[in-house]
Amino acid sequence: MEVPIKKKYSFFKKIGLLALILFIVGIAWVLYVFNEKYSDTTKITPAYTLNALDLIHEFERNDSLANKKYVEKIMVLNGEVSEVEGVDSTVNIKMADSTSGSYVIFAFQQQDKGLAEKIKVGEKVSIKGSCSGGAFSKILETEFITFKRCAINN
Amino acid sequence: MKKTILLIALVTVTGSIFAKHSVSVSKKEKSAILPGAKAGPKKTTTSGTISFNATTAKDAKPKGENKTVIASIDIVKGTVAFEVIVKNFSFENPMMQEHFNSPVWMDSEKFPTANFKGNIANLSAINFKKDGTYAAQVKGDLTMHGVTKSVTSAGSISVVGGTIKIASDFNVALADYGINGPAIAAGKVATESKVSVSAELK
Repeated sequence: MEVPIKKKYSFFKKIGLLALILFIVGIAWVLYVFNEKYSDTTKITPAYTLNALDLIHEFERNDSLANKKYVEKIMVLNGEVSEVEGVDSTVNIKMADSTSGSYVIFAFQQQDKGLAEKIKVGEKVSIKGSCSGGAFSKILETEFITFKRCAINN
Repeated sequence: MKKTILLIALVTVTGSIFAKHSVSVSKKEKSAILPGAKAGPKKTTTSGTISFNATTAKDAKPKGENKTVIASIDIVKGTVAFEVIVKNFSFENPMMQEHFNSPVWMDSEKFPTANFKGNIANLSAINFKKDGTYAAQVKGDLTMHGVTKSVTSAGSISVVGGTIKIASDFNVALADYGINGPAIAAGKVATESKVSVSAELK
């Protein structure tokens, strides 16, 4: 039995429409991925909340294990500021173990740089950021742990 | 017997004096390289900056920077060193950061750090006791992606009231370090990345 011409056209129309929709969705997805920006760190739920010195000691004990556990995780670290170090036109905040010299350093996201600049040495602060991991520095002979896209948590 | 006891006592006292001395020396040496250390010929920072730009006409996204670079300079020996955790390079675009750290580019899981160790070739032309800006030639070994290559770079050293500012721009051929991803072949990532280094050492 022959398929009526009207039905044939209707089938091709549906296929064409589906292809067009898939094409538009594909283009939109590519544009989204290419233009996506990181979310504001303050709005992300942290995977871990820790005392900075505890994190330092965990990295000092075994940084391979600590890296596996914490790298690329959003974390909140609480501790006392040991140094506010100038970098370009802004600052990095550090929390260090005064005995070993090992430290955690936080580089801030654009919208929190102003708040970071107001922080003073000795202040107790809570900072949220993305952990980039730690390593033993051959230059300083201490463990160092770095964070990026940080925000003041309190 | 008395002599033996006296000898043992003498050895013990002498030993403890030497032990105390060696501990105090090692502590002193360590304090000279700890962050914030002011005295001594070695100046350091933990907030140096390294940025790279591998953009092309096809893609303006392959660029990022790391603001937590450890840097040191020994103004007597003329040695310069940098150290960086690769994963702390930050990007505006999450996909670009993922590509940068992936096995086809920096493979930061396998090679988590990059470093440079070198010497100032024209050390005698730089007066670290006098404020000013001096042209510097630095030669050394750059290690990244598990490959070490010799590099020479021109830069500047500024001395401002005891603080030393160093800055340098140079190009890195990614293929020299075994980086040959499909994005490079497609012209989306430059074959040579521009690298800028700056640090303020105290």
